[in-house]
Amino acid sequence: MARLKEVTQSLHAPLMKEEKNPALVQKKLKVSMFWKVWNHKRAKYHLIFLFLFLVMGIFGPMIAPFDPNKPFYDALLQAPGKEHLLGTDALGRDVLSRLLYGTRVTLTVSILAAGITFVAGTLLGLISAYVGGIVDNILMRIMDILLALPSIILALAIVAVLGPSLTNAMIAVGVSSIPSFARLTRSAALTIKSSGYIEASRSIGSSHSWIIMRQFLPNITGVLVVYTTLFIGGAILDTAALSFIGLGAQPPAPEWGTMLSEGKNYIYEAWWLATFPGIAITVVVFVINDFGDVLRDIFDPKSVN
Amino acid sequence: MTYLLNRIFSGIIVIIGISIFSFFLIHLIPGDPVRMLLGQNATNEEVARLTTYLGLDQPLMVQYKDYVVNTLQGDLGTSIKTGRPVLTEILERFPETMKLAAAGILIATVLGISVGVISAQYKGSFIDKLSMTFATLGVSIPGFWLALVVIMLFSVKLGWLPIAQGTGIRDLILPAMTLGVLASTMISRLTRNGLVEILSNDFVRTARAKGLAERMILIRHALRNALIPVVTVIGLQMAALLGGTVIIEQVFNWPGLGTLAIGAISTRDFPLIQGTILFMGVVYVTINILVDFLYTVIDPRVELSAKGGK
Repeated sequence: MARLKEVTQSLHAPLMKEEKNPALVQKKLKVSMFWKVWNHKRAKYHLIFLFLFLVMGIFGPMIAPFDPNKPFYDALLQAPGKEHLLGTDALGRDVLSRLLYGTRVTLTVSILAAGITFVAGTLLGLISAYVGGIVDNILMRIMDILLALPSIILALAIVAVLGPSLTNAMIAVGVSSIPSFARLTRSAALTIKSSGYIEASRSIGSSHSWIIMRQFLPNITGVLVVYTTLFIGGAILDTAALSFIGLGAQPPAPEWGTMLSEGKNYIYEAWWLATFPGIAITVVVFVINDFGDVLRDIFDPKSVN
Repeated sequence: MTYLLNRIFSGIIVIIGISIFSFFLIHLIPGDPVRMLLGQNATNEEVARLTTYLGLDQPLMVQYKDYVVNTLQGDLGTSIKTGRPVLTEILERFPETMKLAAAGILIATVLGISVGVISAQYKGSFIDKLSMTFATLGVSIPGFWLALVVIMLFSVKLGWLPIAQGTGIRDLILPAMTLGVLASTMISRLTRNGLVEILSNDFVRTARAKGLAERMILIRHALRNALIPVVTVIGLQMAALLGGTVIIEQVFNWPGLGTLAIGAISTRDFPLIQGTILFMGVVYVTINILVDFLYTVIDPRVELSAKGGK
């Protein structure tokens, strides 16, 4: 009986959607996106992992056994053991605690950096695709120029201007990815623009902002989610790299890149210093990248490979 | 030919754009750039001297005109830190970076294509899955950390190779290996996917039907076609390696452009920063144009389709 109800409902679904207001339809779209991902086995594991990572970022400092900056002078460069599970560094600070605090730093910085990329990139890409003509031409030429430099060089240039700090590194990483994000958004939006319903919308007098918000954005949401996911992975790597060369987070901040940079000086006597933060970065970025690949299979099957 | 001319023309526009970008870099510093460079304790006299030295007291258009004229004459200014011409500094370091990038791309190509071919041949097998997992791992691992792991393994643990102090062949192996392994992952994934697609083509079936050995089909028929996009990626990777070397050089103390750029940024040596960025941009654009040129040689269809309107 329940099954029958389900079938009739699904038959009527297109009709029923028409009656509902657009906000509800959009909400439903988002919910169905989540289930699409959840029903994919690999994506589900990734989601669970990323959720745990998020939880660790929020509660990590609470479960950390020690203060990340508290030196234990009787335990300098101690190998992983019972008291300090992942050992201590040259100042006698607990590596596990620093790693846990670093989770929050990495999480915040990468999400904010990807946020900068997402907002500016989507805006530029949409404007470029929607307005077209000379605006499109000028915007895309500027993007081409910025894309002609490897993104890390662009990030370095921005840090050079703003000065080295974690916030500036975050801005630099976010801004340096805008050109490629804008390009990707533009090409996704162009495929929508050529479809008949945009023209139809215009001809019945819909406003530009309505078309952009209600027709462009919902239709490229899937693609944007995929790109943003992949950009978060890149943002983590780039910020860590900037911190590693001393142009990002400054010591004694417990940031993974900075920890590796400090560990670099002790690779002879303390392998654990340059090992655990690296594993942490690699695992997190690996899961995010693979999650991005899976999302692409789900939302954008045409662009596989 | 028109296609190539077009590419060169747009390349020149991009280079002009990069020159404007690197020129304005110093003007983007919030507040008074000179005071920022000298620190808060600088006297007004020192600020005035550096302002004149950098030409920042001139009108903006005059500054840019001077900058362009000087650049075209090969004068990129003088380093604040060392007092030596920026171009000399760059040209001294550039061969070292090229050496590293060339060795890296060689390793990446050999490794990437081999792994890609093996993966495609045993599509869906454990080997295939393993190597493709490694391909994702390759884009997820921080380059500087892989460098540290390589040092820990080969220098500290096994003692086979020195932690680079000079620029000899033995010093080159570890950094080149790090770069090569990282860059190979993209090449292997592309080779594999290209091969898999081509192996499902009719002409491959025909080749099989006429009794050709599987290995011959793979090498003579399939690989030839699959490698066309791979060549582009190798070219692009070569250009990307210039960016990748920046961080790797730092780990191995390699005296290339990367260490020069990072040093310049740490000391806020702006003429040097601007010069390095402009130089890297020019190299990057040039390599890209060369790759496009190579592409038309390998695959004549590119030229034809470009002529037929985009």
